Amino acid sequence: MKRFLLSTLFVMLSIFLIGCSDTNKNTDATDQETPEAEILVSAAASLTDALEDLKADFEKANEGVTVTYNFGSSGKLATNIENGAPSDVFLSASSKDMNELEDKGLLIHESRKDFTENALVLIAHKDSDSTISSFEEIDPAALDHFAVGEPESVPVGRYTKETFENLDLWEPLKEKLVLGSDVRQVLTHVEMGNADYGVVYSSDAFVSDDVKVLAEADTDWHAPIVYPGAVVKDSKHQEAAQQFLDYLTGAEGKEALQKFGFK
Amino acid sequence: MSLGGIDMLHVEITKQLAHYEMNIHFQMCSEILVLVGRSGSGKTTILNSIAGLTHPDSGMILSKEQTFYETGEKPLPARDRQIGYVFQDYALFPHKTVEKNIWFGVKKNRRKESNETIRELLHVLGIEHLLQKYPHQISGGEKQRVGLARALATQPSVLLLDEPLSALDRETRKLCQDELLRLHDRWKIPFIVVTHDLDEAERLGDRIIYLNEGQIQDEKWKKQLISTY
Amino acid sequence: MDYSPLLLSLKVAAISTFFVFIVGVFIAYLLAKRDFFGKSILEALFLLPLVLPPTVVGFGLLILFGKKGWIGSWLLEWFDFQIVFTWIGAVIASIVVSFPLMYQSAAAAFDSLDERLSNAARTMGASEWRVFWSVVFPLAWPGLLAGLVLSFARGLGEFGATLMLAGYIPGKTDTIPMAIYFAVESGQMEKATFWVVIIITFGFSLILWVNWWSKRNMRRFTKS
Repeated sequence: MKRFLLSTLFVMLSIFLIGCSDTNKNTDATDQETPEAEILVSAAASLTDALEDLKADFEKANEGVTVTYNFGSSGKLATNIENGAPSDVFLSASSKDMNELEDKGLLIHESRKDFTENALVLIAHKDSDSTISSFEEIDPAALDHFAVGEPESVPVGRYTKETFENLDLWEPLKEKLVLGSDVRQVLTHVEMGNADYGVVYSSDAFVSDDVKVLAEADTDWHAPIVYPGAVVKDSKHQEAAQQFLDYLTGAEGKEALQKFGFK
Repeated sequence: MSLGGIDMLHVEITKQLAHYEMNIHFQMCSEILVLVGRSGSGKTTILNSIAGLTHPDSGMILSKEQTFYETGEKPLPARDRQIGYVFQDYALFPHKTVEKNIWFGVKKNRRKESNETIRELLHVLGIEHLLQKYPHQISGGEKQRVGLARALATQPSVLLLDEPLSALDRETRKLCQDELLRLHDRWKIPFIVVTHDLDEAERLGDRIIYLNEGQIQDEKWKKQLISTY
Repeated sequence: MDYSPLLLSLKVAAISTFFVFIVGVFIAYLLAKRDFFGKSILEALFLLPLVLPPTVVGFGLLILFGKKGWIGSWLLEWFDFQIVFTWIGAVIASIVVSFPLMYQSAAAAFDSLDERLSNAARTMGASEWRVFWSVVFPLAWPGLLAGLVLSFARGLGEFGATLMLAGYIPGKTDTIPMAIYFAVESGQMEKATFWVVIIITFGFSLILWVNWWSKRNMRRFTKS
């Protein structure tokens, strides 16, 4: 019995550890002798499709550089980098997380640049019969669940909170808010029809076939949604990392981003 | 074939086992029948078939007027057969006291009438002082007696004993053999004892059946046995 | 400090363990010492939630129990009953991930029982019901209890699938693991530490207790 208990514990522990070690891979991808560089880009989850799209073109244009992405919420990625998780480029969905890392001296100051912008949109399932066409029309009594990002840790959640507070909707809606751990989860809740509405970035709504955009938030309601990017100071491939950032802010990068609903 | 009177147990078993097909046929009255044979000769399978813990492929098992098994018919469940079974190593319930073990098979509505029988059993077997003990607190010989008492407490119509004495030392073994014979004298029901010990077979058996690979190879009666003493 | 995550976690884990125990023990007993075609496949299926990433389990549960899901839409239509984004969703997620532990423990416990004990009971006229309750269950109890406690601990710690099915609605579906996750994410380390200490203390003492208990009680059943 004891042995069984122990082995079960062991299995659970190993699963737990494997789960944790996920973010630590690519640690040994730094072979300085060869010109080849494998850079790890920690990017906000909302950038997933656009970045995957330009990866091949970038690697073709920059022989010898391969790109690996680590997508997550900006807050989580910032925490990881702060805790020493390897990363060469940080692409954040919010200035706040970027500022925090910069203040701690973890980024190369000169490399920081806002590379794109996004807008906040109100979405519903594509089959939804909702007639709402603006944020002001949201009626807390007429809905069951409203999916938003968790405001403390997910940038889209913070912007959403700002917007709702401006419209005096945050408190009335509070009971009905389902807080997502990242913007994709918010999208999933609406896509699967479990939440009546959701607020995501226009870029996220853009790539989803299962949701429709009901309204776009006024830019006055929330802080500007800029996407700052920077090279991480501890990067072993600063040159390649800078190349990637330059590519992203260049014409090709802009084009790829716009293709996926960024501004 | 039998010692006289009507057959109390009629056994006819055909069953495909791993290495051979078993073909057994015998009838018996209230004698002690000993099944002897090497391990794997099918002894335990015969006991289990009679008890209803396994079933033949075909054949017939009758006890008194009751049909336990008949080809093509639904076998009578083990719990309805009124069989006493002393397992090898006794299979006493380790989490129950000796008393609870012995009373386990006594139906609620038969408690009163069983009281006397069980008291007598305990007395004959000399285990009255063990009632509150757990099986792991008593010796091998005591366990064997408790196993016997438990099997007989339900007032079975047949008693099956699978290597009942094999775990005991020589001294205890002799004592227990005598006890078995005494019990049989008193109970007068068919006893089927499985053993691989020829000496024991001859001491206990009114009749011995020698098994080999699921076939009856030889059969002896007490009279013949006595003449060889 | 809001203590609702503790109460909710205990409620969810207790209810899910209750169901997991009954169903796990029943199925394990049904399959124990029985061999049929496809048994290993069935068992592998039972254990799947143990090895699948929580998000996969969560996604599968959403497909089943979501508002537009196979079971979810039916429940909504006929009983106006919604599982997604409720604490019941947390119970279901917890049931699914802790079932493998209960099943494994119960199957191992039943497998290690001496079948002659149940057979002895049968020859003494016991019904299958009585065989189970008076022989099999008490003898398998140490193993079943281990499964019960592991299931409870697993239910207490369940996060990934729960987050997807029950959502994170503060005050309604925020279990301890969710409180920890979002506290860490938003940099509220003190709050996170508080809940981590609570859940570790709980899980650890539970497992410690059952280990001690089973060691003590196994002695009664072993030959000395």
